[in-house]
Amino acid sequence: MFRFIAGKVFQTLFVLFLVSVASFTLLKLAPGDPIEIALGNEYSEEAHQDMLAELGLDRPVVEQYVTWLADFVRGDWGTSYTARADIFTYAFVEALPVTLTLAVFALGLAILIGVPLGVLSAVKKDTLWDAGSAAFALTGTAFPSFFLGIVLIWVFGVKFAMFPVMGFVAPWEDFWGGLYHMVLPAFTLSTYFMAMIVRLTRANLVEALESPYIAAARARGEPGWRVVWVHGVRNILMPLVTIIGLQLGVLLQGAVLTETVFSLPGAGQMITNAVLNREYGIVQAGIMMTATLFVLVNLAVDLAYPILDPRLRPSR
Amino acid sequence: MTLLDGATPAPATVPPVRRRRRLTMFVRRPFFTLALLVAAGFVVSAAFAPVFAPWDPTYQDIGAMMAPPATAGHLLGTDSYGQDILSRILFGARYALGIGLGAVAIGALGGLVLGMAAGLAGGRTEWVLMRIVDSILALPSLILAVAFIAILGQGVDKVIYAVGVALIGPFARTVRADVMQVRAQLFVEAAGLMGLAWLTVVWRHILPNVVYPLAVQVTIRISEAILVSSSLSFLGIGVTPPTPDWGLMISEGRAFVSFAPWMAGMPGAALAILLIALSIVGDGIREEFDPKMQRGGS
Amino acid sequence: MTEVDHRKILAERLAAKLGRRTVLKGMAASAGMAAAGGLLMPKGARAQQSGHLRVAALNHIDTLDPHFTGFLSAIQVINNIHNGLLKITYDGEAVRFEPDLAETWDLIDDKTHVFKLREGVMFHDGTPCDAEAVKASLLRVKEGEPTSPHAWKLELLDTIEILDPLTVRLTFSTPYAFFPVAMTGSTGRAGTIVSPAAVEKYGTDYGRNPVGTGPFKFVSWRENDRIELEANPDYFEEGLPKLERVTFVIMNEPSSAVAAMFAGQIDAMTDCPYQLVPQITANPRTELYGDVEGNYTYVAMNTRRAPFDDINLRRAVAAAIDRETLLKQAYFGNAIQAYSPISPPMTDFYDPEIAASGRGQHFDLTKAKEWRAKAANQGEITVNYMMSETSGPTGTRIAQGVAPMLAQIGIKANLELIEAANWVKRRNSGDFDMFDFLWSADLDPDETLYPEFKTGGAWNFPGWESAKFDDLCKQAQVILDVEERRKLYYEAEDILMDEAPIAIVAHIKVYKVLAANVEGFQYVPADLLNLHTVSLA
Repeated sequence: MFRFIAGKVFQTLFVLFLVSVASFTLLKLAPGDPIEIALGNEYSEEAHQDMLAELGLDRPVVEQYVTWLADFVRGDWGTSYTARADIFTYAFVEALPVTLTLAVFALGLAILIGVPLGVLSAVKKDTLWDAGSAAFALTGTAFPSFFLGIVLIWVFGVKFAMFPVMGFVAPWEDFWGGLYHMVLPAFTLSTYFMAMIVRLTRANLVEALESPYIAAARARGEPGWRVVWVHGVRNILMPLVTIIGLQLGVLLQGAVLTETVFSLPGAGQMITNAVLNREYGIVQAGIMMTATLFVLVNLAVDLAYPILDPRLRPSR
Repeated sequence: MTLLDGATPAPATVPPVRRRRRLTMFVRRPFFTLALLVAAGFVVSAAFAPVFAPWDPTYQDIGAMMAPPATAGHLLGTDSYGQDILSRILFGARYALGIGLGAVAIGALGGLVLGMAAGLAGGRTEWVLMRIVDSILALPSLILAVAFIAILGQGVDKVIYAVGVALIGPFARTVRADVMQVRAQLFVEAAGLMGLAWLTVVWRHILPNVVYPLAVQVTIRISEAILVSSSLSFLGIGVTPPTPDWGLMISEGRAFVSFAPWMAGMPGAALAILLIALSIVGDGIREEFDPKMQRGGS
Repeated sequence: MTEVDHRKILAERLAAKLGRRTVLKGMAASAGMAAAGGLLMPKGARAQQSGHLRVAALNHIDTLDPHFTGFLSAIQVINNIHNGLLKITYDGEAVRFEPDLAETWDLIDDKTHVFKLREGVMFHDGTPCDAEAVKASLLRVKEGEPTSPHAWKLELLDTIEILDPLTVRLTFSTPYAFFPVAMTGSTGRAGTIVSPAAVEKYGTDYGRNPVGTGPFKFVSWRENDRIELEANPDYFEEGLPKLERVTFVIMNEPSSAVAAMFAGQIDAMTDCPYQLVPQITANPRTELYGDVEGNYTYVAMNTRRAPFDDINLRRAVAAAIDRETLLKQAYFGNAIQAYSPISPPMTDFYDPEIAASGRGQHFDLTKAKEWRAKAANQGEITVNYMMSETSGPTGTRIAQGVAPMLAQIGIKANLELIEAANWVKRRNSGDFDMFDFLWSADLDPDETLYPEFKTGGAWNFPGWESAKFDDLCKQAQVILDVEERRKLYYEAEDILMDEAPIAIVAHIKVYKVLAANVEGFQYVPADLLNLHTVSLA
């Protein structure tokens, strides 16, 4: 067991190392530097060179990377170049919780709507109900989320004035306020997952409902709802857990757009802006956070398999 | 399961699938047939856009800026430059399909090579290759695409490369999982024992078993590629205007949603119809041809 | 006062009467109210602050350090935290430069300015704002480490002498220069006074912890989220500020901001997307403020390399651009046609006859074709036109409009969309054939022309060289007579427009949007959002 855990930890660290090298290299290959952007209309070559030297951006790239890595592992995430924001505070304390909240609400909403729709589809297979929920699910994935978000803002935020259209309220400070502010963004982000869950649920349930043990349960005279919701739905747990792990990246990239449209100060917007502004430190911190999250969630998924499905034992 | 074939370990038992006669597939699946026709319609309009389009897609009619749909001469209205939206949508089918297919081709090929190599190599090489795949997966594909655009510059071809590279990770993972499964199966071992050359085993037994699930993934990933490319336009770094690209049209039109919703709505609807058609076609093909299902049946 | 009233001369030179232009609703009334408010308040009484204003900040805010920012959008915030020696005021008619932290401002001779500071003004950290603080701030800009991008503005400042704890004397090496503009200039703020104690304490992190003397104190800045300010109860202007709190909410998507404005979730916007101007004007909840300000937009041509090293080709381009169409298509009517760089707010120098007189650049396709026929390259010319969605208020709209116009004179513009970082890099290093840009200039003809187009200047992106132009601008700098000075600038402009390193396009309107219940806003046509007089009904 110790060997297994040590192996996983080593594997995780190695992946994070690769990711950090890759993102640093990519960003350094991109033309432009943060000072040139920050100087805006006050550009002059002297001020530019002066600031570069001040921030150590004139040193060799490898040296910059090694310095960054050494600082990072010691917990010093640095500051942004012009605004001098403390990156740890910005990325970890402020931005990450926003994105996580958004992701959790979106996933919750997707499950809350997706699973019942999928069940409905499966139980009423090949009827209008089935076609209807399939259409609903498909339509959700067919629009770019920024477009969906803007349409929702104008319809439900302005025209009917039902929901707030911007801003983040921390649900751990004001749960209902937070929930209220999350309705539109979470729905926007959830559509992709909702569609997946509907189809996943339907496919697995249709299969399960034809299996002998369901027939047995029916034969025992268990009520229909119990057969479906207890014996049937158990079958979709594993695939559900798997997509949450694997599609985390999709969730994060959807978050970039959703956060911009709804003015949520989250990590998705943070990383994208930082890439565009060449804020190397913020990009590194952001990528490290999301990559760690991704690796950890997938690790958790791996570990959860044997619990959800006794037929599978942990693989190395 | 639909959107993530091969991503999960295959269940130990595969449900029996009744063999059906192929010829009646179109009859048995009316939605599939309809979707196939719609998708074919998009291909035709892409191919013959110059014939169908009433206007040059980049002609700016300054006298008819922001004309609503059903204006004389502009069936679907015009955009903020006075460009005819119908013509742009017809030409746009070229870019949508081009970006979708191109990016997926790059992603699938890259994923196939990387995934096969990882799945077959074994030992340390496999471990390192898998960690590379893991790290590509750990970088969100949109952010990866943004970084590639920053390096490569912009334009339709660059968007295809950027989105394609970002898709390598998911494909590689799928392929590798399939390779692992196939490798573990008896017939491969038997083939090895029979003294068949290694390459022959790969060619005859592994590749076919990997390519089918891959082909199924393709239809789903085409949608993703098109959506990522439109997201790049939203961030202001996608396809170069005034290219009649749907993603760009939606992105430009979003600033006018409150009073001229057709500007983004029309290309949005075109995109939605295509993506829905593609995913129905994808499902149909998978259910009919997936070798995993067939293996269980035969 | 000496016999010559130097201040008056300077004032005249800078006076920028805006003429009889319609100022949008609410303007005149608010200016009057603010003045009254100041008078009625009994001396020493503290203002009762109330209300929380939420402002959507639509443009990039780089730092809150006035001496290091390069963005007007940052100055909108900085200006509410800090004061300068001088400030820009506007009464609906004319822009003036008036003492701000200073009680009096005298010109002893044409090179020497004496400022007597207000007594008892404290920085937010409790340290006094005295002559020492003024000197420290000016030196920080002029020769501080690292180099301030505004250092050049104080290049001509020779000595800073402290006469007594509240009096400073500044001596310049040439007469007048453009000192007041440098001190207050919208993109400059070289004359903004910061707390020396805070600079000492925070060093390069000052931009994160600004400490000024202004009506609002800095509270917090959550990156990419919001900047919070609270009222400074000890502000030196009696009865001000009126608001208790101000929040600048950073919003990156303008159409969402407009929606939030209509939904009542925010009270103000620092900018307004042009296509939504009619909706904003029609909506009873929102009011639009703004007018043509000191700026010009242009299409730049790289004179350092082929094909635009050919003057005839550049002239052809300048004549081929149909500005009327661009005004409609790129600005949705929220701009006026430009014929030369000097913009209407500089009334003493703006040529009101320019549309008819034939000076400057005009759209004339016949002439364009004539110039094109004289160009060295008679084949089809393909040029690279770089654009960026985020480099200006109109994104790629000008480029998209200009490309078909160039096609008419046999120039194929290869539109290339690149991201902002790369765009800036290529602009600065001269790696382009064409690009278009909005240049916001200070309200001074010299600052409008000379640094932008002088030989070898950092902002001379087209790389144009003209000894004659340089010479005329230098002459004008030291001439007092407005009439004579104007002539020199016209001559300089004529050379610039004729040799056409740029094709000038428009002077644009710069907007602010406030909710209908926001009162007392004083509009200043320098892209400022000063909130000290603002209150919520």
